[in-house]
Formats: sequence, structure tokens, C-alpha cells
Amino acid sequence: MGRAGSYLVILLLAWFWSAPALAREDIQSDLSARDIKIESNFTGAEIVVFGTVENGTRSSAAGDYDVVVVIRGPDEAIVTRRKQRTLGLWMNRDSQVFRQVPGFYAVLSSRPLDEVASPETLRRHNIGVGSLLQSPDAGAEEVPERDVRAFRDAVIRIMEEDGLYVVDGRGVTFISKSLFRATINLPADVPDGGYLANVYLFRDGKLLSLNQSQLSITKAGFERLIYSTAFDYPLLYGIVAVLVAIAVGLFASTVLRRD
Amino acid sequence: MFQIYLPIAEMSVNIGMLFGMGAAVGFLSGMFGVGGGFLMTPLLIFSGIPPAVAVSTEANQIVASSVSGALAQWRRRNVDIRLGSVMLIGGILGSIVGVQIVKILREMGQIDLIISLAYVTFLGIIGALMLVESLRAIRRVQRGRPATTRRPGQHNWIHGLPLKMRFMRSKLYISAIPPIVIGAFVGLLAAIMGVGGGFIMVPAMIYLLRVPTSVVVGTSLFQIIFVTAFVTILHSTTNQTVDAVLALVLMIGGAIGAQFGAQAGQKLRAEQLRALLALMVIAVAARLLFGLIVEPDELFSIGPALLD
Repeated sequence: MGRAGSYLVILLLAWFWSAPALAREDIQSDLSARDIKIESNFTGAEIVVFGTVENGTRSSAAGDYDVVVVIRGPDEAIVTRRKQRTLGLWMNRDSQVFRQVPGFYAVLSSRPLDEVASPETLRRHNIGVGSLLQSPDAGAEEVPERDVRAFRDAVIRIMEEDGLYVVDGRGVTFISKSLFRATINLPADVPDGGYLANVYLFRDGKLLSLNQSQLSITKAGFERLIYSTAFDYPLLYGIVAVLVAIAVGLFASTVLRRD
Repeated sequence: MFQIYLPIAEMSVNIGMLFGMGAAVGFLSGMFGVGGGFLMTPLLIFSGIPPAVAVSTEANQIVASSVSGALAQWRRRNVDIRLGSVMLIGGILGSIVGVQIVKILREMGQIDLIISLAYVTFLGIIGALMLVESLRAIRRVQRGRPATTRRPGQHNWIHGLPLKMRFMRSKLYISAIPPIVIGAFVGLLAAIMGVGGGFIMVPAMIYLLRVPTSVVVGTSLFQIIFVTAFVTILHSTTNQTVDAVLALVLMIGGAIGAQFGAQAGQKLRAEQLRALLALMVIAVAARLLFGLIVEPDELFSIGPALLD
């Protein structure tokens, strides 16, 4: 579906949803794509989250209502390592394992998060990078809290630099009284798996409504074949890799031979 | 430009850049008559490929380049299969140990450091030795003496070892132990550094085993095919770090580059070639050492936790 297509859908949905009803304030949303495929020409993707604020009692959604969009990728266990100078060389010394770290995390809001709600409210609903990495693995030795915080900050910093964690306090924009949209850029090395898109409606620091949709990112085509063979049939993968190499070698010494 | 997604390295890179790297290293390896693994693996690491993936994938690429290299030597009947097979026994043992070492170091988070250190050590020593030797040879040529390095055959402690075997093509009657030990050491390096190991094996065969120079290159290439093939399969099954897409692009670039490099090499003098190669080897070692000594911008790194 192209960009024009997504706009058309947005407009249609806006038209349906803006019809008056008697229910309480609610939020409805959808994604421009629900199934993203990573193929050999994958250089990242753009997804648009859009929706409407329904039954708004205020004249305009913009300004009175706050919309927060959180997209969370699949969790994985990671290890963070810190380099220290040892014998003149910078080498990894201490490390910290975190068990549930999303491989992608984007939080976009119509206003900066600290203006939307209190830190406690945000943390209770797992909104914001501050809510991440709260489950450090104790491991063999006891790590001081100060160090755990340094490791946690480092993970968030590195992930933000890689474009895998995104915080945008102006990322959700109202394009009419009740219609909003947010654009999220997925970088090329975005992890594959199941994603959740949570769209929250706040007013005066209180959560009014939540709408959830799912998104899946999968390796497809040739990439998927290579990846799944490498992990599911490693011996076959190794043998084929060697056979291909022998074939290229033979080809080079017969066809390309220039002496 | 054309970006290609590498499924195992899990990153998107420019296919033209990869192909160019393969062709450039292929050109140099064709020109100097070396495998090129010791140049390609650091280049891949410099361009952001995880070191463990760079090493395993490079082993896969060397299978291709050594097949075509060994075939050319085979046509000139310069391969001692018996000697190569004995060395291969050691090579298999060495690579089994090497792949396990890589696995353990990955879990410890020290694989990047050890790969860099191994390169700095070997490239530093070999580059320095080659430079000294080739500068001497250049000076000898300038004084008008022939630039040969051949020494008269003499018996050393190697000839006192048991398990003697006759190697017809090499015209040798020596113990099987030294070839096995050399093969094992080279197998270890192939698994940890992603190199064929010719730069260690060739001098060891010439100076320790006294294998005739004409047979050395063909025999070592013969052995390298099987060791790197074995290393590729072992890394695939143990570490899942062989990126077949990356390997294929490098192989094709390398195969094309090598053909042109071989032609260019014939126009340069042997000792000048060796001096040039030595300078390049030292430069790569210096660059890697620099990366270990200078304080990095980011002290922290993230990796997948290899939990049970």
C-alpha cells in the first residue's frame, strides 16, 4: 500500500469514526502496515499509526487530549559490557545481563511525556524508556545499584544512537479536530518478530483509553531461507556454503582464467 | 546505491563497497600470491561486521580462492598430496580446538579483543620480518648479486624425530610429526583469525621441513582448501556465524580481482613486491593496535546474552 493509499484509509476511517455516538471518550487506531518483510533490499521501513479520538467532549482534540503511541519490538536477553583500560589495552571487563529488553522501542506523543502525565502514571503503564530494563539479572556477583544504572543508561543511549529506541515528544500530530497520525521509521537492522503498537489517550494526566494493534516483522524470501537454514539445519548450511565456494573457485579458474 | 541485507551479520551494507573490497583484496592476493584472508578479515571488521562473523565468513571465502589457486598449481604438478594430507590431519585437529575457543571467547565477551590481538601479533611480527628480509634482498640486487634466499640443505633436529614417512614429490624422508604440528597450528589460526594460514605455513615448510619452494605453495593451498572448508562447516554448526550472502559477494569480487592482480604482479620485481606487502601488513597491524590502545568513544557495548 502506497503513501496515497494510507491517506485514503485515514480519511475513510476518519469519516466513519467521526460519526456521533453516545459512548464515553475513546481512541481508535490502526497501522499503515501490519506485516513488514525483511528482504535482501531491506533498508528500513516507515509505518504510520493513525486514528481518531471518539466522543470528544471538548471542541478540539488537539490541545485538550494527549495521544501517546508506543511501539515495542520483541524482547530478548542482552548482555552489556563495559571496557576498561587493562595492561594498556581497552578490553571488556564487567558486564550486566538484562533479561527483557525490547529490540525496538518507540514512544511518540503529542506533547513531551512529562507534560502528558506524572512519572508514576507513565511507569505504571510502561510508557517511556525510563520504564525499560527494570529486570537486571543478578548473576554471579552482586552489582551495585549505581553500576546497574550506568549499564541501563548505556543500553538506552546505544539503542537510541542506532535508531532502535525513539523518543519524540512532538511525534503525534493532529491533522483535524479528532484525527491524529504518527510516523515511525524502522532502521535496517530492526529485529524481526512480533510488535505491539499501543495508542493511549490522556486528558489532564489521566489515562482515558487504550487501543492496541499488532505488527509483525519477518525475514522473507532468500533472506529467510538463509537465516532459517543457518539456525535450523546448520550442518546442511555449512556444507552448501562450502559447495558454493568450490563452485565459484572452479568457475574462476576455468572461465575467468586469463593466463 | 544498492544496499544488500546480510542475514547473519544482520545489517544492511552497500553491495558495491563489498564487491570492491573483495576485488581489491583479490587483486592484491593475486599480485602477491597470498590468500588475502589476513587483509580481508580486518577490513570486514573495520567496516562494522561483527568480528566472529567476519572470521567465519572469510574462512568460507578462502575455500573459493584456494580452490582456484590450488588448481593452477595442480596443472603444474606442484602439489604433494601425501604431505598435504598429513598436514591436514593436524589442520582438522587444530580447527576443532579453534572453533571451540571462539565459542568460549564469545560467551566471555572477549572474542573481539582476542581476534584483534592475534592479528596485531602475527601481522606485526611477519610484516617486520618480511620488510627486513625484502629490504636486504633489494640492497643485494642493487649491489649486483642475485636475490636468492635458498640455503644449502642441512640436517636439523627435525630429522631426529620418529614416525618417518617418504614424500615423493617433495623428495623428503622426514617424520610426520612436524607437518602435523604445523598443520594443527594453521588450523587453529584459520578458526580464530579467518585466514588460510599460508603466511605461516609457507615459511615453516621451507625453513623447517625443507620442502622444495616449487611444491610449497601448491601443497599449502591444497591443505588450506580442506581446512577452511572444515572450519566453515564447524563455525556453521557451532557458532552460526557464516554469512553466506556476504561470502558469495566477496568470493565473486575476489575471483575477478585475483585474475587481474596476477597479471599486474608479473610486472613487478619479487623483492619489491614483498616489501610492498610487508608495509601493507604492518599498516593493518598498526590500525588494529590503534583501536585497542586509544580510548573508544563508547565504552559500553551490547550483545545477545548467551543464556542456557
